[in-house]
Amino acid sequence: MSRPDASAAHPPHRHGDKPVTSLLSILRKPWLWAFIAAGAAFVATAAVTQAGGWGLGMTALTFAAFSVLVGIGQMFVITLGPGNVDLSIPATMTLAGTLALKAMAGDPAMIPVGLAIALASGLAVGVVNYGLIRLLSIPPIIATLSASFLIQSAAIWSNRGLRVKPPQALADFATGRALGVPNVAVVALLVAVLAWVVLERALAGRRVLAIGQNMRAARLAGVPVDAVRFATYVSCAVLAGLAGFLLASFSGGAALNMGAEYLLMSIAVVVIGGSSIAGGNSNVPGIWGASLFMFLIVSMLNSYGAGAGVRMILTGVIIIAIVAAAGGRKVSR
Amino acid sequence: MISTTRLLGIAGLCAAVPFMGLADTSDKSIALSNNYAGNSWRQAMLESWQKVTAQAVEEGVVSAADAFTTAENQATEQAAQIQNMILQGYDAIVINSASPTALNGAVKEACDAGIVVVSFDGIVTEPCAWRIAVDFQEMGRQQVEYLASRLPEGGNLLEIRGLAGVFVDDEIHAGIAAGVQEHPDFKVAAAVNGDWAQDVAQKAVAGVLPSLPDIAGVVTQGGDGYGAAQAFAASGRDMPIIVMGNRHDEMEWWKQAHEENGYETVSLSIAPGVSTLAFWVAQQVLDGADVPKDLTVPFLKVTQEDLEEVLASTQAGGVANVEYTLDDAKAVISDAAQ
Repeated sequence: MSRPDASAAHPPHRHGDKPVTSLLSILRKPWLWAFIAAGAAFVATAAVTQAGGWGLGMTALTFAAFSVLVGIGQMFVITLGPGNVDLSIPATMTLAGTLALKAMAGDPAMIPVGLAIALASGLAVGVVNYGLIRLLSIPPIIATLSASFLIQSAAIWSNRGLRVKPPQALADFATGRALGVPNVAVVALLVAVLAWVVLERALAGRRVLAIGQNMRAARLAGVPVDAVRFATYVSCAVLAGLAGFLLASFSGGAALNMGAEYLLMSIAVVVIGGSSIAGGNSNVPGIWGASLFMFLIVSMLNSYGAGAGVRMILTGVIIIAIVAAAGGRKVSR
Repeated sequence: MISTTRLLGIAGLCAAVPFMGLADTSDKSIALSNNYAGNSWRQAMLESWQKVTAQAVEEGVVSAADAFTTAENQATEQAAQIQNMILQGYDAIVINSASPTALNGAVKEACDAGIVVVSFDGIVTEPCAWRIAVDFQEMGRQQVEYLASRLPEGGNLLEIRGLAGVFVDDEIHAGIAAGVQEHPDFKVAAAVNGDWAQDVAQKAVAGVLPSLPDIAGVVTQGGDGYGAAQAFAASGRDMPIIVMGNRHDEMEWWKQAHEENGYETVSLSIAPGVSTLAFWVAQQVLDGADVPKDLTVPFLKVTQEDLEEVLASTQAGGVANVEYTLDDAKAVISDAAQ
C-alpha cells in the first residue's frame, strides 16, 4: 500500500506549464478528491433543503474555518516526517480561549489584549512542546500528549470551567459576515493563503518539506533542522490558540471541553486533504476541501435522519474511500 | 507529637458531639473516586464536594474526605485508583463511575474488604454497592410533557442527543421517545449529537437546520441549549421552545428573551452538588443507618417563576447548584425506604 519512496521520486509539481498540461495537472492534484467529496455532500444535503443551498454553504464555511485553522498547523507538523504530530491542539484551544476571555471579561477595549494573550499562550505551548521533544528527546506523540495534560490543567486551574462571555463586539465579529461571507471564514482563508505562500513559495516551506522527505539529507544539505522544526511546532500551537480564541468568541464563551473534537479533526483534514501522513508532501487547498467535507458529511447524514451509529460507520467508510482514491491517483502517476 | 494529635482529635470530638448528636463516624475516612473533571458541571461537582466535606471534617463528622480524579476517563484507570483506595484503608469510597459495569470487579474487592461503596450519577451495577441514580428517562419524558402543555397542537421536535454510546444518552433518549409516544402529536423531525457541549451542539444544529421543516420545540440533554439557541438565531428562523439544562448562559439567554418577547421555557438538570448527597449517604451507611441500596436523586427544575431567583444564586458561567445537607440525605433515604 504505502510507498515511502513515491513522494521522493516525484518532486512537487512544477507550476506555470502550458494550459493543457495545467488542466491535466489539476486533475492529478491530491486535494481534488476532498473537494469532489465536499461538493457531492453539499449537493446531497441541499437537495433536501427547503431554503436552498446558500444558507447551508455559508454555515459550512463558518464551521470549516475552525477546522482549517487547526488543520493547517497540524499539516505543517505532519509534513516534518514520520512521528511528528501535535496532540496538544484541543488543550491549547481551551487554554487560549479560557485565558483570553477571562482577561477581556466582556470589555470591548480589551479585545487586542485578549487576542495577544491567546496567541501568546499558543506561543508558550509551542515552546514547551518543542522543548520536551528536543531537549528531553521525547517522541512528539508522547511529548505533546503529556503537555496537553499540563495545558488542560492550567486551563481548569485558571477559571474552573466557568464560561465568561466574550465582549459583544467580538462576538458580533465572530458570528458576523462581511459581504455575505462569514468573518471567521475570511480569517481562515487569509491564513490559508499565507500558509500556501509559505509552503509553496518560501524557503521555510521548502525546508519543512525537505526535512519531511529526509531529515538526515536535509541536515547535510545545510537546512537548520532544529530551527525549522521549532518554528513549525510553535506556529501550529499559535494557530490552535487563534482557533480557540475565535471559537470561544463564536460560541459565547470558552468551555473546558471545547477543543475535544479538533484532535482527530485536525489530523483527518490533513489526510483527507491529500497530504501524506508520512510527511514530506503536503498541500494547503486540501485542508479547506476536507474541512468543508467533514462538516457537510455530518450535516448530510443528519439531514437524512441517520442515527449516530450509521453516521459514524458511513463517515469512516467515506473517509477511507477518499484517502484510497487520492492515494490511488498518486500511485498511477 | 502523637499525643498532641490525639489530644486535638479528642478535643475536636468533644466539640463535635454536642452539635452532631451522632459522631460514630468521626474516625472514618471517605474517598471520592471521580472519572472526569473536564467540564463545568464536574468542576462544580468537585467544588461542592470540597466545600461540604471540608466543613464536615472540621466539625469532626468524619476524619477525612479526599477527592481523586482520573486523568483519562478510562474505566481501567479508575479500577486501579479504587484498588489504591482499598490499600490506603478508606472506610468508604464514593464513586462517579466511568462505566456502569467495568468497575464491578474493583467495587466487589472493596466490598469484600469491608469498605462501603456508594456510586452516584455514573452508577455501578455491582449489587454490594449503593446507587444514587438519576432517573434520566424521567428527565427525557418530562421535557416532552412540558412541551405538550405549551403546545397542545403538537409539532416537530429537534432532539439534541449527548455523546453517542454513553449510557446516559441512551436513557434520556428512551425517555424522550416514551414521551413522544404518550403525545403522538409530536414528531421528532431530526436528532443530532451535541456531545453535551455548547459549541458542538451549535455546529450540529446549524448543519441540520436548513433541511428541517418548522421546529416547534427542542428537547435536549443539558449543556446544549444555548448552542441550539445561537444556531436558530443565526438561521433567522422562529425561536422554538428549547428545553434548557440549568447552565448560567442558558438561563441568562432565557431571561433576556423573556424580557424582550415573553419567551418561556423550562430548564431541568441534576445539581452537581449530588456529590454531597452521596457523601452524606456514605456517612449514614458508616453510621449504621439502614439505607436501601437504590436511591433516586431529585431533579433541579427551573420554571419561569423561579428563573430570576435561581439565576441570581448561580455563579456566572457555572451551573445551577444545590449542596445537600445531612437532613436532605435522610429525607432521600426515608423516601426510598417506603
